[in-house]
Amino acid sequence: MPENPRANIPPGAGTDVIVIGAGLAGLMAAAQATQAGARVRVIANGWGQQIVSPGWISVCDRADDDVIAEVRGYAAIHPDHPYALAEDDAMVRGIEAFRNVAQQNGQPYDMRDKDGHNLRLMTALGAIQRPMLAPRGMANGDLTGVGGPVLLVGFTGWRDFFPALAIDNLRAAGVEARAVCIDLPANPSGTWDLWPGDVARLFDGADFRAAVSGRIKPHAKGAVKVGLPAVLGLENPVEALADLSEQIGAPVFEIPTLPPSMAGVRLSNALRRWLMRHRARVQVGHPVVRGVVANGRCTHVEVGALGHTNPFYADQFILATGGLYNGGILSDETGRLWEPLFDLPVATPPGDGREGWYGERLLQERGHPIHRLAGLRANKQMQPLGQDGGPALENVYAVGHLLAGFNPLTDGCAEGIALATAYKAVQTALQLDE
Amino acid sequence: MNTSHSVDVLVVGGGATGAAAAYDLARRGMRPLLVEQLDLSTGTSGRYHGLLHSGGRYAVRDLETAAECIVENQVLRRIAPFAIEDTGGLFIATPDDPADFPERWLAGCRTAGIPTESITAAQARTQEPALTPRITAAYRVPDGSCDSFDLIHAFVEATRALGGDALIYHRVRDLIREGDAVVGAHLEDTRTGERRTVSAACVLNAAGPWAGVVAGLAGLDVGIKFDRGAMIAMNTRWVNTIVNRLRPADDGDILVPVGTVCVLGTTSVHTDHPDDYRIEAWEVSKILSEADVVVPGIRHGRALRAWAGVRPLYEPPEAGHDDAEGREVKRTFSVIDHAQRDGVRGLVTVVGGKLTTCRLMAEQAVDVVAAQLGNEARCTTAGDPLPGPHAPRYHQLGGRLHKLEHGELPGELICECEMVTRAQLEAAIDAYGDQPVALDDLRRDLRLGMGPCQAGFCSYRAAGILQQKKGHTGPDTVEAFGAFVDERFRGVRPLLWGHQLRQMYLDELIYRRTLGLDQLAEQPTEEPAHA
Repeated sequence: MPENPRANIPPGAGTDVIVIGAGLAGLMAAAQATQAGARVRVIANGWGQQIVSPGWISVCDRADDDVIAEVRGYAAIHPDHPYALAEDDAMVRGIEAFRNVAQQNGQPYDMRDKDGHNLRLMTALGAIQRPMLAPRGMANGDLTGVGGPVLLVGFTGWRDFFPALAIDNLRAAGVEARAVCIDLPANPSGTWDLWPGDVARLFDGADFRAAVSGRIKPHAKGAVKVGLPAVLGLENPVEALADLSEQIGAPVFEIPTLPPSMAGVRLSNALRRWLMRHRARVQVGHPVVRGVVANGRCTHVEVGALGHTNPFYADQFILATGGLYNGGILSDETGRLWEPLFDLPVATPPGDGREGWYGERLLQERGHPIHRLAGLRANKQMQPLGQDGGPALENVYAVGHLLAGFNPLTDGCAEGIALATAYKAVQTALQLDE
Repeated sequence: MNTSHSVDVLVVGGGATGAAAAYDLARRGMRPLLVEQLDLSTGTSGRYHGLLHSGGRYAVRDLETAAECIVENQVLRRIAPFAIEDTGGLFIATPDDPADFPERWLAGCRTAGIPTESITAAQARTQEPALTPRITAAYRVPDGSCDSFDLIHAFVEATRALGGDALIYHRVRDLIREGDAVVGAHLEDTRTGERRTVSAACVLNAAGPWAGVVAGLAGLDVGIKFDRGAMIAMNTRWVNTIVNRLRPADDGDILVPVGTVCVLGTTSVHTDHPDDYRIEAWEVSKILSEADVVVPGIRHGRALRAWAGVRPLYEPPEAGHDDAEGREVKRTFSVIDHAQRDGVRGLVTVVGGKLTTCRLMAEQAVDVVAAQLGNEARCTTAGDPLPGPHAPRYHQLGGRLHKLEHGELPGELICECEMVTRAQLEAAIDAYGDQPVALDDLRRDLRLGMGPCQAGFCSYRAAGILQQKKGHTGPDTVEAFGAFVDERFRGVRPLLWGHQLRQMYLDELIYRRTLGLDQLAEQPTEEPAHA
């Protein structure tokens, strides 16, 4: 049998950092480690929560004034909060790194102004959300100081956007709006069971956009902005947006719709392409089934394949597997919560079993205890803590939703924490000095 | 505004017994008006496991109910074939169950007239491969599953066709007494506050757990015990046959395939309130672990929804078991002729029983009403089939998928889990005419939002379509949306772990982050007492 010279080289040899998870935190950790010169491999079971999220970057939604100052103030009095662990310049630098990478891939994320104020963006129901950054299409819809009239455009028969639902609620927020539904010029499937991605692909076509603009223009007289569902193209949203705005004659903006989120898909694509262009490996669709530990260090992870597992080795491991939604934390009927890869200790809500996990109403104020309290505790190096309160493993770091101490659904800071902790984890894993 | 009109009999309660009674009255030529405080089939009749009893479950300690069940089982199959799926039933004994029980059970079935067929463990597992290999005895019985919603609606439609009527979302504010007689009632529309007075020669109280409250409106006392039971719907049909444990009736020993799901039940917990729908964590654990004995692995399956029903239990004082509770109280029913018992004419109360025996309960209650009114017509509800299809109407996805793929269900899918189209939704909204319609009404009509995602996606879509059809204002629509979200959450809250927890996280993400519904929906000022 001919000797295979590579037979003795384990898969993943020559990798410095393995990032587990392809959400915003995982992809940005991978990007920053790559920028720092490390050889990086991303291994993920699927794309992260960005695919089902509106697509904007919430850093501290409730801040009326300077967002960064508000976060610093909060972190100063909540030393266990992930923002406090990452420390404030991690958040600023994480956001900066993210904007650069996204911008380089045709996905600019805009702010309201240079002073770090939150945007005022409308939802499909006419509520106001206040993220700090948003993809250009959404940031164009900033309603700060806007009294209207705003034109909202839906597509006749399409099930995922009903512009009329927003009118009264927007008025209550001080914005006059009117709604219109236009017939789309083409409906290739013949039915209206169109997913947002199907519509977005139609908007990638310049002819399609021109035809849509022609139908919207007669309704747009006097409108200061024109809002459409966030499906305006997948491949080149900046061009699509500019085209539509010019042809309609008013700035066009995007309103998030039901998942899958096209803004999230664009973001995933942009970050993956950036990584691959910079020689990082990205394997999505391969579950890491467990981490293997010796002498307080992770030596390798085992990745599921058909009927067996493959080992992947690296020096450093960044755990970006997400929280209860993404599978980074699992739960069962008896009230057990566990971290499946390293069996790291999981902070749990007080009380017996599942009794304290949820309140009485789904949309109750401040959300449900389980989302704030369940997760990993970490130190300022972003190393998850073991039972004794010290770092559980020397070369494993935890980022994003996997961390305890914030509620990603109600606290208005989910993406900010992903970016801040990803930045910090890479700094400590690669011992990068300021 | 106060309108008034007059009927022969006012039937209180839009559950199975009230609906069957209205139908029976109409067939005997007494014009009924049925009133229900919520929607049809929302009380105990809607909050059950879907089992059409063969009677086997009562064959050892309640022979009277067992015998009634097997007779009425045959009657319902004949008169309402569209509402029944002939799944057949199995009684399975495991080594954990008392060894002498099968003999006693067989003797009971013989006495009650319930046909049984002994089969081997291998035959049972051929029929239901998911069953445990640890089977010590297995019998077939003629159980079935029954869609109470279809059954009740058929009774009400047939009642209307015969000149009777039904009012939903109407509450009885008080019963009108003239001397020793009840002569009518004041009703209130719970949606609009509109009131009306109905005079009736007789009031038939079929209000289930609220029967004591209704009798109380006439100053009469009917001592009802409330027994709460929880059920869990698993997201697929783990079995296609009803599976019962062959042991003395206990918590968690029935599996009922119904529609797209498999319902596991039940528990039996004493409560002091007719609307105590709480489900405690131990009940969920108990039901899952007991079901896991019969179908190993089922406790790791995906649980979709849990609900509780309140059984109204009544033992006439002459039975002399004052302190019996829960499963000790027999499942027989009682018809109380208040003329005889309390000297008050014009009021008859029917209470207790099973959904399977609803027609018989109605018959015996209407016999008493008829005697008071001097009507001598005989009951004919066991004879002719109810108007409706002659074949079962299965609520399974295969049927809807077939229609979708063959162009028989036009329009886009609004609820993908249960395959509800826009055309269906619009037709259902139109059917309410000028009446208010809640998203939860549309759920009961169409199964909207009852699948794995529990309305995460279709609630927004349905709210948009409802607004288009009805021209509601934004705040009205948001309120309807929020109410639907609350209602769906109540059913999954006891089941939030694993996959269902992840699902609810996604739903919460859509409502809060994508839509901002939490900012718009009013936080209620006070919590419902026991819901």
